[in-house]
Amino acid sequence: MNRHLGLLVSAVVTVTIPGLLAVLAILGHEHAVAGTEVVSATALGDESAVGPLPMAPASTNQAVRNSMAGVQRTSGLPVTVFSDVAAGQQAYAMRLLARAAAAGQATTYQGVEVTSQSGVDGTVTVVSQVWHQGGGLTLIRTTTGATPVVSYDTGDRSPAGVFGVTSAQVTLLGKHYVAAYRGDGSANGMPARIVDVYRFDGSLAARFWLDARTLVPLQREDFDPADKLVSDELFTQVRFGPLTERPTAATAEAPALASSPESAWVGAGSPVTVVASLAKRGVRLPGTVLVGLPLYAAAWSGTGAGQVTDLEYSDGLSVISLFVQRGTLAASMTGWEPLRLDGIRVYVSGHSVTWAGRGEVYTLIADAPPQTVAEAVAALPGGGQPGLVDRLGRGFDRLAHLVDPFA
Amino acid sequence: MSHLGTLISALIDGELAGAELDRANAHLAGCDVCRTEAAQLRRLKRELSALGEFDAADDAVTRRLLAMTLQSGPVAARPLARQPGRRARRRRGRYVMWSAMSIVVVGVGAAAFGMGGSSSGGNEPQITPQLEVFDMQHAITSGDVPFADPSSTRLPTPPTPPTLPKASKRASVRASLRPSAEATRP
Repeated sequence: MNRHLGLLVSAVVTVTIPGLLAVLAILGHEHAVAGTEVVSATALGDESAVGPLPMAPASTNQAVRNSMAGVQRTSGLPVTVFSDVAAGQQAYAMRLLARAAAAGQATTYQGVEVTSQSGVDGTVTVVSQVWHQGGGLTLIRTTTGATPVVSYDTGDRSPAGVFGVTSAQVTLLGKHYVAAYRGDGSANGMPARIVDVYRFDGSLAARFWLDARTLVPLQREDFDPADKLVSDELFTQVRFGPLTERPTAATAEAPALASSPESAWVGAGSPVTVVASLAKRGVRLPGTVLVGLPLYAAAWSGTGAGQVTDLEYSDGLSVISLFVQRGTLAASMTGWEPLRLDGIRVYVSGHSVTWAGRGEVYTLIADAPPQTVAEAVAALPGGGQPGLVDRLGRGFDRLAHLVDPFA
Repeated sequence: MSHLGTLISALIDGELAGAELDRANAHLAGCDVCRTEAAQLRRLKRELSALGEFDAADDAVTRRLLAMTLQSGPVAARPLARQPGRRARRRRGRYVMWSAMSIVVVGVGAAAFGMGGSSSGGNEPQITPQLEVFDMQHAITSGDVPFADPSSTRLPTPPTPPTLPKASKRASVRASLRPSAEATRP
């Protein structure tokens, strides 16, 4: 009898536990796959392709809607095309923005920029002195704080644009928004050409003032979908032409915020592979799109605390940089404000948000509306302990990786 | 010309006689095909006859087996006796196998559970994000100014993020625009 009972218990355990584990592993895997299934070359391929634009809904701003005409392809897929006038406006506005991106690089200028940005913890305003040698580097000296600081990169890199108008961002913008040349005007007393950028629902997303002579951006405003101004950047002073002040003097007088030599960033050829390698490590990201912003670049850097992975998401207007590194947050976070965001305990500093979850530290730096930032934090792995399914799924992933490190 | 057909085997077996035998022989004399076939049949018959001469009793092994049968008399068919020890051993083996499998599965599950807990077994480095490095990287990729030293640049935090009413902004935009007639595509 005892033998029968032992055999029965053994059989039940042997059948039940593997079954349960298999179900949990499958669920966990599916969860992981759901998080990263869009990690494929096609996903980015689609993003980079010039595909059909979505149809403009009935609620679209009339001026925008009237300039669009929905047609049916022979395949039956709905596409939106622009009327000749709208297509001309769009093409001209995009040309202006592309030329503005090039001008921001090629033109020598110096001036004072004021940037106000709404973040999850209030509005941050930064005043910076900027010197840019045409075709060369940009030196930025922030004067708002108690002590002026100069930012530069040890890899001799600097922001390749003014107010986020770079060739890469303009390309992304052309895929996610409708740009329209609004007309001529002025920014801070300087003649300017104005370009409006609309969402596909017809709402205004951003407005750019480009210097009428050089096309260097003079001002930029960003609006959230609720029609609120979330970011305002402008030159309060700007002078084009040879630099009258030696930027090196500024570097000498201010403490430099430069990255250490070992923290040089190495760009990843394919952002998809970076997300996939993070998934193998157990870091489950939403894939190649984060709150509607496609992943367009990735990089790695070594720091004293280990390797940091940088993932860049942007639709051409909003930009989110996500930095992922192994570890947990230090007990004392000087300079960071604790905040609870969507139930997750985070620390906020300016337009940066950081939190720890499941053995990883996530730092998100965003030029995006606060709502987008909050949604991005919610979409990313949060703090606390992982659930059983997550934990088993991640454990099996790691076991599989131990068995076959190249899998 | 028709051949002998089935008659050929009767011929080889010596079953034909009289006029039938004469006709068959006459056909064979003039037909190469039937002659060849008859020769093959005869050869086959000889070989089969040689096989038929094999005597099982001559085989040594068979002889011995027959002798053994005769000595012990007829063997009554009986079922194999069940051996309790063998059955117990088999059951024990099965039990051990299932137990081992259970231990392996539970062990792997426990290992997965343990490994899924944290990245490095609780020995994670304590990190304060290198904000200046990250901010510079963000500025470079986004093409905007870095927010250096934000802790000293934050405005007093209001209850809700203050945003300028867009209407006033748009008013300022409108004010900066030339008359609409002038705001045309150049």
